[in-house]
Amino acid sequence: MNPINISLLVFMIGLYGVISKNNLIKKIMGLTIMNGSIVLFFISIGYREAGLAPILEKGTTGGIPTTIFVDPVPQALMLTAIVISISITALALALIVRIYAKYKTLDIQQLSKER
Amino acid sequence: MGSSKIIRTIVQKLFPFIVLFGLYLISHGHLSPGGGFQGGVVIGTAIILLALSYGIEKTEKKFENKRLSMLEKLGILTFIFLGFLSIFLGHSFLGNFLPLGKPGQIASGGLMLLFNIAIGIEVAAGVSIIFYALVKYRGEI
Amino acid sequence: MSKEMKKVFFIIIILVMAILFILSIDIEYGNPKNLDVTNYYINQGLHDTGAINLVAAIYLGYRAYDTLIETIVLFVAVTGVVFYLRGKR
Repeated sequence: MNPINISLLVFMIGLYGVISKNNLIKKIMGLTIMNGSIVLFFISIGYREAGLAPILEKGTTGGIPTTIFVDPVPQALMLTAIVISISITALALALIVRIYAKYKTLDIQQLSKER
Repeated sequence: MGSSKIIRTIVQKLFPFIVLFGLYLISHGHLSPGGGFQGGVVIGTAIILLALSYGIEKTEKKFENKRLSMLEKLGILTFIFLGFLSIFLGHSFLGNFLPLGKPGQIASGGLMLLFNIAIGIEVAAGVSIIFYALVKYRGEI
Repeated sequence: MSKEMKKVFFIIIILVMAILFILSIDIEYGNPKNLDVTNYYINQGLHDTGAINLVAAIYLGYRAYDTLIETIVLFVAVTGVVFYLRGKR
């Protein structure tokens, strides 16, 4: 049971939230949980056995380092992914405020009958 | 419409330290974990904390909406301007043209400190503007 | 969609996810195989950019263009939120 399996379980929890809940805010919470599980999956792919964080010592001058470092490439990709997740959540919540102002309900079964 | 007097006193005493910690994260972005995005969100959280404990009217007198919007546009335009300045000086777009310096000091890494400062200003102002827009909505409800 | 169709969808998705979970329970964790680009970034990162934080050397040094586009995405999101929550004119 390593972090790659746990990320699949968290993804299933988020997918259950998006599919089965009727409230719109709970669907957005499911989207955020799914984003978190993908970040966990990518970071745990780049783990090396007995590796340290990819920050060099303060007194190094040059040359090729001899300690084993964890893969820094997925960590740099996930910074962008987290910022895009924030943007999606902010825009979705702004749309939800306008929907509630016009239709006075947040239930998706009643909203799909509105037409 | 803010919070009780205990929360207002503690927030007033804690606010400079939160901003100082955010500035530390921004300026040491190339030496330790941190950088522009993390430090910018910390500074934006400090402004949101002020708005939650003192009420939105009093906070908007100190951190006005128009001034934050101007800071956000300034941050993103500085980033693009540094990219074009690097083309004028002969290197590639967003390439490095400052001296590299000794590894381990703050004045190292070339353009990375300026990038971090521009991103930090832009993210702090952006998070604050989103919070103001969500709280002050007085439309058709 | 009706309640029965939603239950059938739900059971199908749970079945597919359970099969995926059982097939991947002994996945290899701890030694990635293709490390050519990573070894180049670790060996040459300090020499090319001058920063001792290797993650910052990647996303502000070698791939600064992606960081620029990401800041533009955040700026467009803030503009969209202000546009939707404008209120009475």
